Amino acid sequence: MRTGVYFCQMEESRNLNIDSIAKYSANLPEVETVQILGLKPHPEVKILCEQIKSNNLGRIVIAGDMPGYFKPVFTKAMAMTGGNTNEIRLASFQEHGARGENAMDRAKAIVACATMGVPFSLVAVPGGNPVNHSTLIIGSGIAGIQSALEIANAGKQVYLVEQTGTIGGHMAMFDKTFPTLDCAACILTPKMVSVGQHEMIRLLTKSKVVAVTGKPGSYRVKIKQSARYVDIKSCVACNQCSEVCPVKVESEFDAGISLRKAIYIPFPQAVPNAYLVDEINCTYILSEGKKCGTCMKKCPKECINLNEIDRTIDIEVGNIILATGYELLDISKIEQYGYGTYPNVLTSLEFERLTNASGTTGGRIITKTKHINKKTQKEEWIFSPEGIPPRSVALIHCVGSRNKKYNPYCSRVCCMYSLKFAHLIKEKIPNVTVYEFYIDMRAFGKGYEEFAERIKQEGTFVIRGHTASVAMNNGQMIVRGEDIFNDKLVEFKVDMVVLAVGLIPAHGTEELSRMLGIQRDTDGWFSELDYNGSPTDTDKGGIYVAGMCQAPKDIPDTVAQASAVAAGVLRSLTSGKGIGHLSSLSLSEIEERAKNMHTI
Amino acid sequence: MAIRVNPRFIDDLERFGAEDVKMCYQCGDCSTVCPHADDVYKFPRKSMRLLQMGLARKIETTLEPWLCYYCGQCSTQCPREADPGETMMSLRRWLISRYDFTGIARQFFKSRITEVLAIFLIALLTGIFLLYYGFSGGSIHIYDGEGAFLPSPFIHKFDLTVGSILAIFLVINAIRMWYLVMIKGTKFAVPWWLYLKELYQLPWHFFTQKRYSECEKKREHPFFMPWFIHLGLMLGYVTMLVLVMVFVEQLQSGPAIQWSVHIFGYLASIGLIAGTIYFIRNRVKKNYVQYKKSHGTDWVFVILLFLIVLTGITQHVFHRTGLYEWANITYVIHLICVVPWLLRMPFSKWAHLIYRPLAMYLAAIRRDALALQEKLIYSYPINIK
Repeated sequence: MRTGVYFCQMEESRNLNIDSIAKYSANLPEVETVQILGLKPHPEVKILCEQIKSNNLGRIVIAGDMPGYFKPVFTKAMAMTGGNTNEIRLASFQEHGARGENAMDRAKAIVACATMGVPFSLVAVPGGNPVNHSTLIIGSGIAGIQSALEIANAGKQVYLVEQTGTIGGHMAMFDKTFPTLDCAACILTPKMVSVGQHEMIRLLTKSKVVAVTGKPGSYRVKIKQSARYVDIKSCVACNQCSEVCPVKVESEFDAGISLRKAIYIPFPQAVPNAYLVDEINCTYILSEGKKCGTCMKKCPKECINLNEIDRTIDIEVGNIILATGYELLDISKIEQYGYGTYPNVLTSLEFERLTNASGTTGGRIITKTKHINKKTQKEEWIFSPEGIPPRSVALIHCVGSRNKKYNPYCSRVCCMYSLKFAHLIKEKIPNVTVYEFYIDMRAFGKGYEEFAERIKQEGTFVIRGHTASVAMNNGQMIVRGEDIFNDKLVEFKVDMVVLAVGLIPAHGTEELSRMLGIQRDTDGWFSELDYNGSPTDTDKGGIYVAGMCQAPKDIPDTVAQASAVAAGVLRSLTSGKGIGHLSSLSLSEIEERAKNMHTI
Repeated sequence: MAIRVNPRFIDDLERFGAEDVKMCYQCGDCSTVCPHADDVYKFPRKSMRLLQMGLARKIETTLEPWLCYYCGQCSTQCPREADPGETMMSLRRWLISRYDFTGIARQFFKSRITEVLAIFLIALLTGIFLLYYGFSGGSIHIYDGEGAFLPSPFIHKFDLTVGSILAIFLVINAIRMWYLVMIKGTKFAVPWWLYLKELYQLPWHFFTQKRYSECEKKREHPFFMPWFIHLGLMLGYVTMLVLVMVFVEQLQSGPAIQWSVHIFGYLASIGLIAGTIYFIRNRVKKNYVQYKKSHGTDWVFVILLFLIVLTGITQHVFHRTGLYEWANITYVIHLICVVPWLLRMPFSKWAHLIYRPLAMYLAAIRRDALALQEKLIYSYPINIK
């Protein structure tokens, strides 16, 4: 069939040389004419009709980033000349992943398939590889735990790698989940315990993936396991070592609002339920065994060994699941909210730990009080038992999110957890006033809108209008805002400000993406293969993404995606063939297959 | 009243300098950081909103753009980089073109070529007229007295003529501003005695520019710098205008310096030269957010003023040192710059000299009138003691 190829680009190509692709496509069989229409073209029906007639074209291939955008014009021209409109084929570079190293070959293959009239997705199916039946999961938040349990319950081996001393991730820090106000720990801890006890799950805490080699189906992974200095099997978490430890540092699990020792357990329900030593702060390790060491002498089970060394573990796995999660944007650079300057301005995670029943205040929401540090003789503001509950609290949405200077994207969970905070404050403190400053209320999920309405009815002042001004006047914080719906500028005296801080990818994401060759999007999150079609796959076969590391999402979505990932892994394990990497197919191979299909 | 919407208003305003109004998503950050926004005059967000809705007829009756002194806080804080500060600036330019009944201001703001051509044309006509007058009646070698090239009584009359043309335009425009704001834009009764009660606002804001200094608290410049320099520039300017309109004959006399008059001239010159250099420097260096985007008319404004001051000082020096030929030549150049500058005033940014205090005056009247109507009761349900 006489074919015409038209190149229409919507935007400047990143690494595609359109001229070279055009030259290649001119040599393809049956191609009569090749036209480069350039950037954002406006093809005219009349001219197209003339070209179709003069070349007697039976098929038109539109090639480019978004060829579907131009299809109506070509369809019109084809119809007007009496041709078959079904023979307008799209060669979409974006859809079929012509990016990265093999972009040019991929683009050529896409055009070749289109000119022969066979769908690229049918032709370019990578051959299956035999799959190793173990799976590696990097990150053990709720996403990693859910995937691990799904796969392990199907009877397959799972390696669960976690950087900190315990699994659980951020969800373990939360008090309640929205919109059902279920206790987060009640959902998570049973899952954590089953992970810890599961015979098919090998838990590697304080570990980090340092190298990945091999191909889909058989990845060889090198894992560096840092010394824990406490034997997991014999430790009974009796807390005697922690009592004698002289070092006090900020607790990561409590988001820095409380102190822990250098030998510690992150939280009482930690899995594995054993203590660990923070080698950065331990006096014994820092002095190379010359000072301290009291915990070793104290331990009744003799399970502490401060001379333990790191070790590396080599494993072979068939599939890898990335569930590395997120962290909060560093908001010390956003000055207008006074974080770091005014004591009672908290981030969302700090507040989450404050209101958590297992937190430092036992779930009492109180303001910080001034204390004098005995060692440094400096004033510091801490949460102490004599703290009083705030009379009024301001919750500010979109701090660093939807902001061109910091995160241009919406962090997706902040609206809902801020509403949840409003409810928790109202529930715990009588006669408290809560103000919510929001820009747009994004209550998008099942039951979310109803939750937002419920919070408004509970008496929280939900004010449409952001604020960029938190000031201190004679020891009283004042939040100034614009109430857009009531057309007023308002100033409220508040005792506590909670900032709904935007989310960014966890700090190891970039390193991991380089190690594995996984693309990241402009905001730094892992790129999935196709956001609609295959949201859990990456463009490398046998590597999947789950949870926040792909994009901000709430707990229900994370759990759903984690289960979907498990389905993908189990599919490859039961079929015995993993999906190979598409780049393993060469251009000539794709051409050959397309020709064969074409003749059929 | 029917609401008239101009869907192309944003595009229209782009010619006046505002480019990013469409980016605004109405978060209100700008209003909260603005040192001047209050319960009656809420801006810049509200102005941005009116703009996005294309309510040009509504905006031309508002005073908000005049209450902004462009400290740039809003533009720094804006999460969408919609540049509300520059938008308010552009709205001021647009308002000047709306107050101007001739339509000349609009042409000047929209097309730099028109403006420059008009200036050249007037400069040319002035030059021809002055040279013709000078050579027909006097000698280039004589500066003052009998047979002078440009005798001072003639200059005095010339100044007064130009000044009256200027004043006529300004008064008509000011009345138009009052009409738009107080008649078309005010939907509540304004008692006449409020006009008397708030009358002190006019000289107060004219001579102190107190509101501008309030911006500096936010801006954290050392010594309230831009406000101080701007005040110096403005006072120098006004002093000079008075000297030229009333005392020009004393100024031009003798090689001897008449200190009772000249001391004011020197002080004014210092203010003018320091001000113009400071603002030209800032616009070149773009060191603060409010100087990042310079409209064409801004450049014409500062550069022409700088030339006027420079030629004025030069002719003064030539005159006092006895170089009468050179003094006459520089004087002609000086006047060639001054006349288009003065005639351009009502159609340019310069007109804010009148509109700013007037806006402050009218704003105070409107605020009082609203308070009288008890529309200002702070009805928000919460008051924490």
